[in-house]
Amino acid sequence: MPTTPENPFADFDRVSSELYGQWERGMTSWWDQVLDNPAFLGTMGNNLSAAARARQSYETAVDESLEKAHLPTRADLVRVARIATLLEEKLLTVEDQLLATRDKLEAVEKQALLARIEAAETRLELLAKLTEMDAKLDVMTTKKPAARKSRAKKDS
Amino acid sequence: MRATSFAKYLMGSPARSAKIGQTPHSIIHRENKATLRYFAPVNATQVPVFICMPLINTWTIFDLLPGRSIVGALLAEGAPVYLLDWGRPGPEDKDVRAVELIDGLLPRAMDRALRHATREHAATELDAVGYCVGGTFLAASLARHPHLARRVAFVATPIDFKASGRLAIWADEATFPLDDVVDGFGNFPAALMKSSFAWLRPTGQVAKFKGLWDRFEDEDFKVLWAAMERWSSDNIDFPGECYREYVRACYFNNALMDGSWVLGNEATDLSKCTIPALVLAATGDHIVPPASASALAQVWGGHVETQVIKGGHVGISIGKHLPKALVAWIASGAESADMRAQA
Repeated sequence: MPTTPENPFADFDRVSSELYGQWERGMTSWWDQVLDNPAFLGTMGNNLSAAARARQSYETAVDESLEKAHLPTRADLVRVARIATLLEEKLLTVEDQLLATRDKLEAVEKQALLARIEAAETRLELLAKLTEMDAKLDVMTTKKPAARKSRAKKDS
Repeated sequence: MRATSFAKYLMGSPARSAKIGQTPHSIIHRENKATLRYFAPVNATQVPVFICMPLINTWTIFDLLPGRSIVGALLAEGAPVYLLDWGRPGPEDKDVRAVELIDGLLPRAMDRALRHATREHAATELDAVGYCVGGTFLAASLARHPHLARRVAFVATPIDFKASGRLAIWADEATFPLDDVVDGFGNFPAALMKSSFAWLRPTGQVAKFKGLWDRFEDEDFKVLWAAMERWSSDNIDFPGECYREYVRACYFNNALMDGSWVLGNEATDLSKCTIPALVLAATGDHIVPPASASALAQVWGGHVETQVIKGGHVGISIGKHLPKALVAWIASGAESADMRAQA
């Protein structure tokens, strides 16, 4: 963007942007060489290791002094909190089992219900057949008196 | 003038006042520090989605701001969302093993999510989404409990750890004192994690402020910048023993690629999971390069579709492409469910 009376710093913006781009490229390529260098990484690893060991020593020292003063140490508190977590885990395992049992009971209940529905349907079907047979019988009985009549005639 | 207001803005600590993770939700299950968060849609029309977040950051990156929220996009599509937030481990969690999370906490959270979804939405299945290391844990869990989800999407999830760029170089057995770190610090410290990620791109910190300077007049950008600052400054400790196992198995031995990650007494073989998977990798991801994420296709037991979308490892979560891809995936799930119902 060229410099205009409205934006007298346009060139400055462009130049600073280019300078930033160059700086970023330069830094990136330099850091790339450093951060992927096994020697550098080895040194960083040693520093990290030393820092971790120092932290461990510090915490051990704090715990020892608290223990000497007959006070609960950090390790004690951590242990108690871990036990609470494990207890919660056990409770959740029981909850899992309860839910699984409930699932099974629901499945059994569902099966029982289905069986009852099936039995009711069978009974209804039988009832329908019986009604049908009844109707047929009724038809037959309405026809039969004629036969009986003839038999009566014979008897007489 | 501009420099003055820029300095004034930064001195006001904009990140501190940024509001993130604002979508209303309820907590339906808790285990240790982890919580299962339920986000209800206005109209549930899709299969519920279970999201497994990474252990090292807060969940709010998936619900950063209104209009820049994965959770919001899924809710708008009609999917009930269940999000697993691992919480902040304390010193008492340094002995938590990976198997406790992969075989215990994660499947249990999925089970509770499905039970809730069955009760609330008459759902019978879940679709799962895993982000970053949350995706790695989800993959391991699904390989061991494949019945837990109908389909799964992995967002920027490392699978081939040897293809993890600079992180793979740093997490080398010869130079990284894993045992000393875990024995000394207990949990892997969040501050160390944050500085490690910052040093992956040394000029990134300067570029961040340059970006703000360039778009300082854009109020929306400033809101986003402050929200990102708030999220990125809030890393979480990684439970020590779990970190030891994870780094040894995944970074040192690349065990997910050959199925040799032994959890409990059983190896984790990703080929045992045959549900369809979607891999969403980001073009500019320097933490999980596309090669690391797309390697899932080589080891997963089911069909794998890979999409490489524009963005960086974190940037994809607040961009437009990831919500779009996930919403399309959700919609395709509804179609396949319809087809199955018709069949």
